Amino acid sequence: MIEIKDLRKSFGKLDVLKGINLTLQDQEVVVIIGPSGSGKSTVLRCINYLEPPTSGEIIVDGLSMTNNKNINAVRMEVGMVFQRFNLFPHMTVMDNITLAPIKTRHISKKEAEASALQLLQKVGLEEKKDAYPEMLSGGQQQRVAIARALAMKPKFMLFDEPTSALDPEMVREVLDVIKDLVNDGMGMLIVTHEMGFAREVADRVLFIDEGVIMEEGKPDDVFSHPQHDRTKLFLSKIL
Amino acid sequence: MSFDFNLVYQSFPLLLEGALVTIEITAISVGIGFLLGLFVSICRLSGLKVIGFLAVSYVNIIRGTPMLVQIFLIYFALPMVIGHRIDPMVAAVAACSINSGAYVSEIFRAGIQSVDKGQMEAGRSLGLTWPQAMRYVILPQAFKHVIPPLGNEFISMTKETSLVSVIGFEELTRRGQLIIAKTYGSFEIWLTVAFIYLIMTFGIARFVSFLERRFATDDRN
Repeated sequence: MIEIKDLRKSFGKLDVLKGINLTLQDQEVVVIIGPSGSGKSTVLRCINYLEPPTSGEIIVDGLSMTNNKNINAVRMEVGMVFQRFNLFPHMTVMDNITLAPIKTRHISKKEAEASALQLLQKVGLEEKKDAYPEMLSGGQQQRVAIARALAMKPKFMLFDEPTSALDPEMVREVLDVIKDLVNDGMGMLIVTHEMGFAREVADRVLFIDEGVIMEEGKPDDVFSHPQHDRTKLFLSKIL
Repeated sequence: MSFDFNLVYQSFPLLLEGALVTIEITAISVGIGFLLGLFVSICRLSGLKVIGFLAVSYVNIIRGTPMLVQIFLIYFALPMVIGHRIDPMVAAVAACSINSGAYVSEIFRAGIQSVDKGQMEAGRSLGLTWPQAMRYVILPQAFKHVIPPLGNEFISMTKETSLVSVIGFEELTRRGQLIIAKTYGSFEIWLTVAFIYLIMTFGIARFVSFLERRFATDDRN
């Protein structure tokens, strides 16, 4: 379970998050929508402390991130996928995936490569194991990035606009991989602009605007019967 | 005025010996300077306040004072503090290494900062510690960017080692001075000395562009 309690984040004088409270149960899929600059991505980045919160508390499976000692332990349990993939360009696909498990979980190279191969099969890219990232399409890179995060055997996944940097024809292949994970029972927080996808996979949808959760509920309720004017306005622009 | 080829011919072996010493001191200094610079740049970017401040101070002091003065400080002033003489070779290598380290650390800092921020974030999000992410993710990428400026530093250092001639250390320039003191062949000897420096720096420049090409091809396959 991930608990976010009164999360606030300011960059200088700019208050990006103004008190976010959110609980993610095991195996729950929560999709965050909202206009750009609303603070959606910042919520994800605060959970694994890529951005240390200004105030508030993040607790992952009982471990509070306020205690520095827990940060790396939590990061190993919470995988993250970035908008711009952030694969390591100087390493093969295989090395991208096995680096962190070998260095942090202290498993053998052989073992790491065996499970990396399974993950590559899962994302449909086993034949690319010796390729370098720059030789792959955007969609393929993002699938490798997902496999890399999964290699740590995380309990939760954070997806930060995983398809926003992709050409339209590659969006599907990445969303299909995420859908597989949903079916496997992975708990996840997804920031996305893919409303159809959100509606399909989400247990719960949050609408964030101006640093606060304006509205939350079942996807059908939020998308079909938005209560808040802000939500209505946003959805009318995007749907 | 006539050019005395015979003098050049006779002094050449002595000057070459001096050139070997120049190469030796340059190689050792660049080697130590490389490690020192890498260490200092990492200290500077570590985000640790005191260590970062020390690193910045070191760079500012070395860059803000002439190398000639640094050589004097180490060879003449330091013995007064520690109470015994310092071997000219040790003083020369120490001065050149400490000087080079400051410039190399700035080269590494620029190289490390040129690596996309998302790389460190991706590494950290996977649970790598900061030193692990630095070592396996950032530095291998930064290294490629720093080869050309490191080559420049190597070439500069080759020439700047001539400054240690002032403490009587017999590298190429000092050898030239000593030969001229006996033969008065200023023109021939300085021209020859310049020529030997040119050959050395040209060789280094070729070596650096070879390294650049090699690392560039590594990227493609």
